[in-house]
Amino acid sequence: MDEEMSNSARRMSLRTRKIAPKMAAALASSDNRTQAMLARLDALESDNAVVEPQLLDDDDEASLDDEDQVFHKKYPKGTKRKTRQAKALENKRAPKSFLELLNEANLESLPPHVPTYLRAAVGPPSSTSRRHFCTVCGFSSTYTCVQCGMHFCSIKCKAIHNETRCLKFVA
Amino acid sequence: MSNVVVLDNGAGLMKAGIGGERDPTAIVPNSMGRPLSSKKWLMAEQLLSPDVDLTSATVRRPFDRGYLINPDLQSSLWSHIFSNLLKITPSHSSLLLTEPLFNLPSIQRSLDEIVFEDFNFKALYVSDSPSLVHLYEASRRPYGLVSKAQCSLVADCGFSFTHASPVFQNFTLNYAVKRLDLGGKALTNYLKELVSYRSVNLMDESFLMDDVKEKLCFVSLDVPRDLQIARKPGKDNLFRCTYVLPDGITNTKGFLKDREEPKRYLSLYDKAPQQVAGEQTDTDQLDNSEDRNRSNGSKIDLTKNEFGLTNERFLVPEMMFRPADLGLNQAGLAECIVRAISSCHSHLHPVLYESIILTGGSTLFPHFAKRLEMDLRPLVPDKYRLKITTQEDPILGVWRGGSLLASSPDFDAMCVTKAEYEELGSARCRKRFFH
Repeated sequence: MDEEMSNSARRMSLRTRKIAPKMAAALASSDNRTQAMLARLDALESDNAVVEPQLLDDDDEASLDDEDQVFHKKYPKGTKRKTRQAKALENKRAPKSFLELLNEANLESLPPHVPTYLRAAVGPPSSTSRRHFCTVCGFSSTYTCVQCGMHFCSIKCKAIHNETRCLKFVA
Repeated sequence: MSNVVVLDNGAGLMKAGIGGERDPTAIVPNSMGRPLSSKKWLMAEQLLSPDVDLTSATVRRPFDRGYLINPDLQSSLWSHIFSNLLKITPSHSSLLLTEPLFNLPSIQRSLDEIVFEDFNFKALYVSDSPSLVHLYEASRRPYGLVSKAQCSLVADCGFSFTHASPVFQNFTLNYAVKRLDLGGKALTNYLKELVSYRSVNLMDESFLMDDVKEKLCFVSLDVPRDLQIARKPGKDNLFRCTYVLPDGITNTKGFLKDREEPKRYLSLYDKAPQQVAGEQTDTDQLDNSEDRNRSNGSKIDLTKNEFGLTNERFLVPEMMFRPADLGLNQAGLAECIVRAISSCHSHLHPVLYESIILTGGSTLFPHFAKRLEMDLRPLVPDKYRLKITTQEDPILGVWRGGSLLASSPDFDAMCVTKAEYEELGSARCRKRFFH
């Protein structure tokens, strides 16, 4: 079990470096489930499935499922210096994300009667009941994966879930 | 004679035109896209042309979560629109611009900079969208409740989020506005995620999924029943639809395999519901496995490149009503409206419940208003009447209100002129707009 966990964690970090930095952060946290959920919600707001595709080499994507060594060999050789430079340039120009702008605006410091972006959020629902849908087939589900907390409705869906999705974070 | 440019600058679509006209000249995506095969970024309306192949195109948007984050990108998109589509000279025109509610001061400053320093507009008026929708609805029915009581509740389901905002005497009551962080973009991405996991990987195809969502998704009036129907095999399954992917040679846009197929479910809403509910249950287990096979793509013929949708068609828009199902800890649209109204003065409650206006592109799902009414009724006290008004074109509602406002005689007096901006600066000019 222990080995399995560490193994999967290693594989995940490899993936997340390319898929989304938020997911890497989610995996580093102790409360995996909520963090992963937040990362998934965050992904719903992203434009492209791949973050900053113009920075990545297109061929790089292909190595996603390749052996580790190929990936390691490739990375320092061709592109490392270039990306660092590109990154420095990118940092200068790159627009801030909305959340950064929100932090800078420091809305918490305003007096409590001023309506702001933060206070306009609707807040949690009054009834706590949440319906669960099978993440594999979409029908209502009664079971929860003990490892990752996703839902499935039957043993068949469970098998598919374990094979393709459990702790893998491929959206 | 100077003209007024009315620009409803949404995160998803920009609606731009000349004030006083009925419809905007341009309704174009507020984004740039670069197809896989080219190095050139396509702007706004170029993305809409039928012969552009947008397969795996990269998208850049000036907006993030509904707010402007990239003024440079926005500025180049605007200049493209002003010179190529509207064909106006900014230095001889005024601008009526919409901005999202609770726009941050830093964003307002950069907007003002673009308007006055990059484009040299003569004058600027900034409005929020709910008040414009209210204005339009009030003028359309001069004897209706909205215009007599001078208040309404505008539920705007946009691209990035949904706002329920009470409007009183043409002013949005800021303190009562409630926001739900779900909009068209999140729904498209959610659908994309489901399809990519269950059948074909389409994670890069935002434009294609937008099309699928618009053509196939609808709001279910009875989710448990519809889920039962979605399990059925063959012809009994009224929801199954097949969407054919573009092959890049004969067709660069995806299309529906059978144009009539998506409408089959409508028969459910015409005939009595008890007929459908009865015959299910015992065949459940059998269908189960078949359904799963289908949704996992084993039945999909890769040479034909198509995918099927069943329960996704209504489970995706369903998230607007029950965001908790998605893991988002926010109340659904109905509760959002109730909370917005409850934050207002109690004298306004009866009128607001009776003048709910639905606007925004995401309300275009079939049965949206009906479902909202079903969800709202149990939450609203019995003594109040409930009335939901839909607009005939929810995407253009805001723009038309803006067009009306721009053609009113007082408009010039409400604007901030370039001279005033240079004298007073952004922050003090903004005080004039009262929001």
